[in-house]
Amino acid sequence: MSCLITLSHAPYGSQVAKESLDVALVLSAFEQQPAVLFVDEGVLQLLPGSQIPSPHKHIGKILSALEMYDVNELWVEQESLDQFGLAIDDLSQTVNVVTRIHLGQLCAQYHQHLVF
Amino acid sequence: MAGFSYMSDLNMAASPSLDPTSLTYAIVVRCGPHQQSRALSAFQFTKEVLLQGHKVLSVFFYQQGVHTASGLRVVPQDELNLTVLWQQLSLDYDLDLGVCIAAALQAGITNQQEANRYELGSDSLASQFSLVGLGQLAAACAECDRLVSFGGD
Repeated sequence: MSCLITLSHAPYGSQVAKESLDVALVLSAFEQQPAVLFVDEGVLQLLPGSQIPSPHKHIGKILSALEMYDVNELWVEQESLDQFGLAIDDLSQTVNVVTRIHLGQLCAQYHQHLVF
Repeated sequence: MAGFSYMSDLNMAASPSLDPTSLTYAIVVRCGPHQQSRALSAFQFTKEVLLQGHKVLSVFFYQQGVHTASGLRVVPQDELNLTVLWQQLSLDYDLDLGVCIAAALQAGITNQQEANRYELGSDSLASQFSLVGLGQLAAACAECDRLVSFGGD
């Protein structure tokens, strides 16, 4: 079973981003081959060198653990990058870019889709 | 893929009681009980799936959803108490109600064992719910034909 996990929350301000990434890590530990798609404010999780608001875990550290957990397939939506004036070179991870019009095709490649 | 296993079920004559059109579901509840309409949708969908003869492997409460498992919530008398509804559904259908242990402990929802471990004054987990790891969600994802998640915010 492969699972696409869509993350649409900003890295800090709530536990949602961290909890969503935890699901990706656990699915991978259970050999579920998760892939991660960043959309909307979720793309902000990929900004390097952000300051850590004290009550939160550093999202960048969890993201860098993804590769160790064999979560190699990271996607980011082009329109979400545009919305924040970001380019792919600004991001902390190597990602694949998908345009909004092709999101449906991307989702269809996976058995399951969890949206956070 | 789910369709594929469904076809192979058709060929299994070994268990005649197994309805060949029934599917296995895993339900994820990420909305809190205060988000009435969403939280109620999660409950009603699960109930309907069971009524129609499908199997629900587990219901997994995560993020805001863990508050559903609090045994210390008091709901106004003229409002639905989702905790009680889930408990009754669990009793009626022998339904497994799993609550993410990390999220639950942060929300002050704890069973006797964890209360002792962290030297807390009391426990607060409602009956029929159990504290489990995220691994149970991953296992349910692996086994189910359909994964249905009811969202937060």
